[in-house]
Amino acid sequence: MSDLRIINLEKQYSQTPKKKNPAFSLKPVDLTINEGEFFSLLGPSGCGKTTLLKLVAGLVQPDAGEIWIGDANITAVPPEARRFAMVFQQSLLFPHMTVEDNVGFGLKMQKIGKKQRLAQARDMLVHVGLDGFGSRFPDQLSGGQQQRVALARALVSNPRVLLMDEPFSALDPGLREEMRDLLSRIHKEFRFTVLFVTHDREEAFHLSDRIGVMSEGRLLQVGKAKDIYEQPESKKVARFLGLKNIIEGNVANGRFASMDQAIEFPVGESIKSGASYMVLRPEMLKAAHRHDLQSPDSLYLRGTIQQLRFNHGFYTATVQVEGHQLESHFSNQEAEGMAVGQEILLVVELDAIHLTSE
Amino acid sequence: MNKKPFLLKTTLFILLFIIIGLPFIPLVLSSLSFGWQWPHILPESFSFRAWEYVLFGSSGTWQAVWMSLLIAFTVTAVNILLAIPAAIALVRHQLRAKWLWEAILFAPIVIPPFVAVMGIHLTFLRLGLTETIWGVVLAHISPTLPYVVRAIIISYSTLSVDWENQARMLGAGPVSRFYYVVLPHLLPGIAAGASLSVLISLSQYLITFIIGSGQVVTLPILLFPFISGGDPAVASAYSLLFAGIAIVTLTVMDTALKKYYQNKKTAIEKG
Repeated sequence: MSDLRIINLEKQYSQTPKKKNPAFSLKPVDLTINEGEFFSLLGPSGCGKTTLLKLVAGLVQPDAGEIWIGDANITAVPPEARRFAMVFQQSLLFPHMTVEDNVGFGLKMQKIGKKQRLAQARDMLVHVGLDGFGSRFPDQLSGGQQQRVALARALVSNPRVLLMDEPFSALDPGLREEMRDLLSRIHKEFRFTVLFVTHDREEAFHLSDRIGVMSEGRLLQVGKAKDIYEQPESKKVARFLGLKNIIEGNVANGRFASMDQAIEFPVGESIKSGASYMVLRPEMLKAAHRHDLQSPDSLYLRGTIQQLRFNHGFYTATVQVEGHQLESHFSNQEAEGMAVGQEILLVVELDAIHLTSE
Repeated sequence: MNKKPFLLKTTLFILLFIIIGLPFIPLVLSSLSFGWQWPHILPESFSFRAWEYVLFGSSGTWQAVWMSLLIAFTVTAVNILLAIPAAIALVRHQLRAKWLWEAILFAPIVIPPFVAVMGIHLTFLRLGLTETIWGVVLAHISPTLPYVVRAIIISYSTLSVDWENQARMLGAGPVSRFYYVVLPHLLPGIAAGASLSVLISLSQYLITFIIGSGQVVTLPILLFPFISGGDPAVASAYSLLFAGIAIVTLTVMDTALKKYYQNKKTAIEKG
């Protein structure tokens, strides 16, 4: 087993008077990434995810904490001896070397003979779909191709962990998706451990086995994409995941009530009393018919449609319910006959409502 | 459409010729003249006397040329060895009083060499370095090093740390990082600094004169007495020779660099 373990890793940047950077600190992070896992760190820019990645790489020295791989403590090992690989935001191909030499660079550093080096480099180029590009120079390639070469260069020496720092953020959207698929396919094929940093939710959801959500130097929640989406542990996580209908309220006597008392429903025993936030996922809100029997397991909300927008494949409606604006997704069928200004009864199953703390 | 650039080109060419080419004409005439006095626009009679003296006579011209080149290239080699670590320190490392280090390194550009050389001379006298080639080489470093450092610093500051980090992540230790990633990027800067260093070293008179005490004979040492009164024809011939040597040296360095890049490219394409 060679899991990557991060134990209470911590880094403090003091305020630099010249650059006026505010002091930034990475709060102790504790995390285990399993061998072969694709793990993403998701967070807004400046949340410390790149700092954490650089700490793992060894490019930045931690103030406290340890990094282990398997049963070896590598905290003091310099980056060049860690046998990690890293793909940066820019492809950073060495301009005076051919594509083949770029890919073979890591092997050259391991003192592997030229013949074998080139053979392995060419083989890896085939995997990233750049067969026959070996003798070109980096400036003869497009941005996407350059990033593929960077990926091949990182993978060819069979790293213990592949670190990726927003590797596709400099590419345009179509290309980004293509690269995402390529990376996903290669990961399934080689099963290397990946620590991937991104601010793109879609990218993280698409690629990752598990995701860690970061904000302001803190690792807020770690889990499978579905779990963190359906059960965010805090309002911050919910906000960052793009969840829309977050309503502040209180839990008392087994019931949740929004601040203005407009929305109220019973909650399970396990929910503890106090300030709370309800999260209503837009796709869980359905239109109910007035004459339907009202089920006790559902919450009914009466409101007015304020806006109806066609999104690729479905409609997004903004519904005013008392003082709250709720966003809801309707299929084409459901949306038929709806109009702005119309009254509507929304229904959501109580099980689908998620309660979270600050 | 093509007319405008053509016109611009011709104008520029003529301008360049007036500024650079024209002064050479009286120099050539003067070197070939035999007594060229006021008010004659052209010399009355021509002779190769001056050129014969400079090129074939017992004037020691060729020894001086070799000495000049030997000193210039030694100085440049030492400069490069000194300037690369200096540039790395100034660009990459968080030095405490960076401005002070830079001020010290660049001071020789601002302070007249004469001032520094007087002090250096005294020290060199004690150390027994005067009248030696090494003494002259060391003294030449002070006016040339700032230019080499400057050129390499500019080159280096355009290389983002990410490149070195990338090489690091691929397993490259400090030496490999420097050799495979940093050096290729610095090469144009090193070449620019080296040309300046060679040129400045070649044209040093005062420093060579004081430190070498007339024992280390370079081309400017031979040239100056003729300019300051002796024989204008010989002085002109020496000036032309001096310009020629400088141009040839620069051209050779430039071609060597281009050749290096070409070889590298073809070698890669073949391999």
